[in-house]
Amino acid sequence: MAADFRRLIEDSREMTRRSFLAMAGWAGFTVASLIALYQSVKWLYPNATYEDPPAFKADPPSTYAVGSTTVIIDKRVVINHDPNGFYAISLICTHLGCTPRYFPDATSDLVLAGTQIAKDPDTGQQATKENPVLPGFKCPCHGSRYFRDAVNFFGPAPRPMDRVHLEVAPDGKLLIDRSVIVDRSFRLKV
Amino acid sequence: MSVIRAAIDEMFSIVGQMVGSVFRHGLPLTDKIAARTALTNFVLHIHPVRVRRSWIRMSYTLCLGGLSFFLFIVLTVTGLYLMFYYVPSTNHAYQDMRDLQFVVTFGGLIRNMHRWAAHAMVITVWLHMARVFLTGSYKKPREFNWGVGTLLLLITLLLSFTGYLLPWDQLSIWAVTVGSNMAKYAPIAGPYTRYLLLGGRAVGDSTLLRFYVLHVVGLPLAAFLLMVVHFWRVRKDGFSGGL
Repeated sequence: MAADFRRLIEDSREMTRRSFLAMAGWAGFTVASLIALYQSVKWLYPNATYEDPPAFKADPPSTYAVGSTTVIIDKRVVINHDPNGFYAISLICTHLGCTPRYFPDATSDLVLAGTQIAKDPDTGQQATKENPVLPGFKCPCHGSRYFRDAVNFFGPAPRPMDRVHLEVAPDGKLLIDRSVIVDRSFRLKV
Repeated sequence: MSVIRAAIDEMFSIVGQMVGSVFRHGLPLTDKIAARTALTNFVLHIHPVRVRRSWIRMSYTLCLGGLSFFLFIVLTVTGLYLMFYYVPSTNHAYQDMRDLQFVVTFGGLIRNMHRWAAHAMVITVWLHMARVFLTGSYKKPREFNWGVGTLLLLITLLLSFTGYLLPWDQLSIWAVTVGSNMAKYAPIAGPYTRYLLLGGRAVGDSTLLRFYVLHVVGLPLAAFLLMVVHFWRVRKDGFSGGL
């Protein structure tokens, strides 16, 4: 085997016109194949997707009462209106991308079963045995839970859900852009 | 009279020639003719001419490879039936699946055959792999065929995964959302792979079409070609069972 291979290499040192052309042919074939492979992969990447655009308009800010949580399920977005302003949550579970559901009570079953729940870092609220009910989100896929402000407190979710940008559009409606992720301190004051 | 007899003789000889060109060795009444038939017949040629009883002892192979192949055939045939009524578009897919279940004659039977055979094939392929491992049949000179087998296992799982999306119910959509998000966790290539799989940023129309094409053409074709190699290799490497 090794001897055969060595002889093959030694033979190929003697370049004839025929072997040169054969090598050039194979080189051309290889390059063409690589280009075809690249094109095949590239072909599968859509240049335009006709999906729902990331930015959309909701109702005017006055529609949302202070302290309200509004789920826009088709857009997978939540609009929270707190005393210090508006913010929007991208309703995509940070574990594996399902859509968590809003529940007025997302904590009491855990608290009453004895599970210790961390304090919500955003609001400072804590569910205790005396006062076990806090609103929040539960993911139907693997049971992750989030406080109302999107901070995760239970289940496999590794981090809070993303907050996305929102502003008041010229026509007075809330304009939410899901492609712009904002800091947790972001608030829209109206 | 002799003209009619000549015509009949001619007819018999033509029929004889036609039959003879298909079956070349007459009835396999002796071992020698049986061996020749097995060698020259397309359907039978995957069988070795001679097989020792010990090679195919049922308690050794448990028929798991054969069962997997049988289920693949069941899935191909029932899948073909399903394709007559199924449109891979988000507007039609779920309703078509419901129609197959409740409206189409024998639709429920065919759909359930496809569904259960798919589950069963995953099980038999895994068990086949376990059997080959436990009997040490992956060792020299069968390492290459073990490699082909792992690819076939992978394709079986991908066929299950792509088929999972096609009913387009809540379970399908979120299962594929979860699966493609797992792909996203792969280093560097993850997000690209997900975009490639979904044909977009979320599970939608293009995802359904992609998965459908992979499910009905791409993956079965790859599985078929690998199976050809797999079976041929079994013949060439010989059975691993006792002497």
